[in-house]
Amino acid sequence: MRRNLPSESAVPGVMGVVMDFMYYGDILVVDLEAGTTEEVEIDEAWEAGPVLPAALELFDKHAQDDPLLFGSGILTGTTAPASCLGFALGASPITGGPAVAPLNLFAGAEMKLSGFSMVLIKGNSPGPVYLWLHDGVADLVDASRITGKDTWQTCDAVRDEMGEQLIQVISIGPVGEAKSDLASFSINYWGSGDNAALGALMGAKNLKAVALRGLGMIDAEDPEEFYNRTMGLLPGLPSEKSFDWAFEGLGEGGLDAWLGPLVHRYRSCFACPCACNTFVKYNEDPAVMGSDGVQEPGLMVTNPAAALWLGQGGWSPEGASRAMEAMARAGVDVVRGSREISAEPLEAPGEIAAAVEALTGPAEAAWPPGEGPAEGGIFGPWTPPSSSGDRWLEVNRAAYVLGVCPLFLAASGVEREDLLELCVPAAGIKLDAGGIKEMFDRARA
Amino acid sequence: MITVRGRLGKAARDPVLERYRGAFLSAGSCGRGPVFYPRVAIYTGAGASHSWIWFADLMERMGLYDVTFMVESDISSGGLDAFDFLLVGGGDTYAMAEGLGREGARAILRFVGGGGLYLGSCAGAYLVLTGVDLEPFTPFNLVRGGMLNVMPDPPEPRCLEHKYLARYGEEWVFHPVYGEVELGPGGVGGVPCFDGATVRAPLFGGPVIEEASNDEVLARFAGLSGRAAFPWPRNDALQLVNGRAAAVVSAFGEGTAVVSGPHLEHPLFPRANALGAEALLRHCSRGSGWARERRPIGRGGGEQVDGEEAARLVQEVKRQVSNARIVAFGLEKMPVTWRIGLKVWEPEKVRMFLDYAWCRLPFVAQRAASVHPGGQLEHLAGGYRAVTDLARSLKTRIESGEDSQAEAESLLGTLKELTAAFLSVYFKLRLEERTGLPEKPRTSR
Repeated sequence: MRRNLPSESAVPGVMGVVMDFMYYGDILVVDLEAGTTEEVEIDEAWEAGPVLPAALELFDKHAQDDPLLFGSGILTGTTAPASCLGFALGASPITGGPAVAPLNLFAGAEMKLSGFSMVLIKGNSPGPVYLWLHDGVADLVDASRITGKDTWQTCDAVRDEMGEQLIQVISIGPVGEAKSDLASFSINYWGSGDNAALGALMGAKNLKAVALRGLGMIDAEDPEEFYNRTMGLLPGLPSEKSFDWAFEGLGEGGLDAWLGPLVHRYRSCFACPCACNTFVKYNEDPAVMGSDGVQEPGLMVTNPAAALWLGQGGWSPEGASRAMEAMARAGVDVVRGSREISAEPLEAPGEIAAAVEALTGPAEAAWPPGEGPAEGGIFGPWTPPSSSGDRWLEVNRAAYVLGVCPLFLAASGVEREDLLELCVPAAGIKLDAGGIKEMFDRARA
Repeated sequence: MITVRGRLGKAARDPVLERYRGAFLSAGSCGRGPVFYPRVAIYTGAGASHSWIWFADLMERMGLYDVTFMVESDISSGGLDAFDFLLVGGGDTYAMAEGLGREGARAILRFVGGGGLYLGSCAGAYLVLTGVDLEPFTPFNLVRGGMLNVMPDPPEPRCLEHKYLARYGEEWVFHPVYGEVELGPGGVGGVPCFDGATVRAPLFGGPVIEEASNDEVLARFAGLSGRAAFPWPRNDALQLVNGRAAAVVSAFGEGTAVVSGPHLEHPLFPRANALGAEALLRHCSRGSGWARERRPIGRGGGEQVDGEEAARLVQEVKRQVSNARIVAFGLEKMPVTWRIGLKVWEPEKVRMFLDYAWCRLPFVAQRAASVHPGGQLEHLAGGYRAVTDLARSLKTRIESGEDSQAEAESLLGTLKELTAAFLSVYFKLRLEERTGLPEKPRTSR
């Protein structure tokens, strides 16, 4: 069934001009209580398309249904640099206010390619389910078989069931199922920047996971111009590894030097020239390059704030990595969890596992002053605060509308205007910082 | 026309086929006019590889929608009598000849002798060359030429060992070049696609033809491209093929046989397509009186279902094709091939079959609700569900290092049958959409 949403004046079958490009497919509305899915057309009043401000509108409109939304930015999944970002939006169980969590690694790009412009999940399922989105098809799959599994087991089970290892799995572990305020959803195996307990919201919905895969292509309004401009940006961009270029906080040498003895490789998110994500091995010699040895040799550190808490607390890199793994598996927010346990460094795997298991929420998060959900802010502390709170907010707003990693936008030196101008060949729309602010203000009004 | 993106889409938009499409689409709807609208049979039976799909694709791009897919039993039981073209693509020539048998051979000769057109590429060409005097090919003598790429003791290949040789009695058929080749004009004059230039076409193991004196050469080999593999040293390969016949037209009774070593039907080579189209159009330009009797074909049909049920079934087809494509994409990364008969199959062929259905699904979805090809849709939904299961099982076996030959044979065989069934529905809907086509019985010549 299809219908228009939310503007009554929208003409059925006619989409807004910009929607011919950069997004494809309708908005998916999932009613977990009824176990049904429905597709609705994109509101032509959304000038920039189904971006985060549009999701905020839907969030308010469906507030009574406890909505959880997933979406992407205009440039997500394209050749634009660092165009890896999608979003999850829901009411944070910690504060009750709307909060945004990033979909990075390859989850944002797969969200864009899933065949749905945005996903709105309403209500709670009577039994455990996971949502399988693939090429414009939405399936609610019985998840009783994976209930109680940790996020690693869940990711494996979903991928095995669907038969493909490239499926991006946003899942919760036992902590999310228990609706703990310390819960966080995990992207595949590696935790996430969900610092607002949206994982607990998934648990409340009986939604064990959202799995994404699409083989479609994204159309730009002027594909050649778009491609040439994105390629033209590359020579001026940094090509960094580890987190040091973007984060400070461990003194001389930084995170890179601290984790150094365990580092096996660095990996970027989709289309990013900077390979932040740092894979550390502690169950196998990091010098071993082959992947046919130890089955679970270590962890990909994707959340530097967590490592910073543990490093500053005096943990060894190995102990810290084991703790982050335990938290990622259980579906605990690695940042808040690390902050909780940082003061008492541990080494023995058994003790670390026990400490993680003993974690109870809520733990305070480090939102910039005035920007936490309690203050009406929506962005989490995943992007490190800069000297100016206003700039931090601008960076986050632009990042989510564009679909470009906020870390990259804040720290790479890339000109934000250059990325905003890409929206012209991409979708035929002109965007500037003022316009983006207006979109958010309007959505939050 | 369907919307296809990427290289395939670019090739499909090439205007070179427009004159043929225009001629066929304006062909007299009731047998009037200088060009008749042909009824096309495409061979998909024993020995046929995937390349028959390229013929289906080409027919669609030429505006020819009266297309039926035939297996060997359809042909040997006289099914060709109501058709104007028989198109036979690549594959395993031995399996084709054995499958068709003497009855099939007689039916093909009777069909062409009675005024039909046979177009064979690659294996479809080997099958009917008179110079091939070897069981089981002897009964298929249709085109007087022979082949030059055969010798008792070919030199060792420099590459592509697995595709280099095929046993041919006491001798070997060998392939000195595998990939893109250049074609120049032969003796057939006024072929617009040459237009002073050469035409590129893929040679995937097809014959280098030794034409008979009374055959017309449609195209000759006129050079090699860099986009090919060379089991022989390039100069030796060039010496063997250059100036030799690549495609010939041979009169047989009242009909025509066209054979081509290169795949003139390959969708990435629009000018080669035009070469094949030229031969087809010339055959149909003999006036409408040559069109054969429009007997009901008696295939398809099935139970009628209402529009809602049809939409549900199409959605189920979409769901399963998407699931299978996602698994198939993963299969492509695996270093495995399967030899079925004499034909080597790569994993990417699995997705190729699925993609042809996938990109035509929107049209089927749009039309299915009003046309109600219910029984066929049910068959497709169940069939693609089985394909998804087979693909997952195949992948699991490969990943665990087990032998996957039986699963691959089963999957590819099912896909071949199912793709033909899907395209039958598709062409039926296309034909019904194009009103005014000859649906009533016509008078044979």
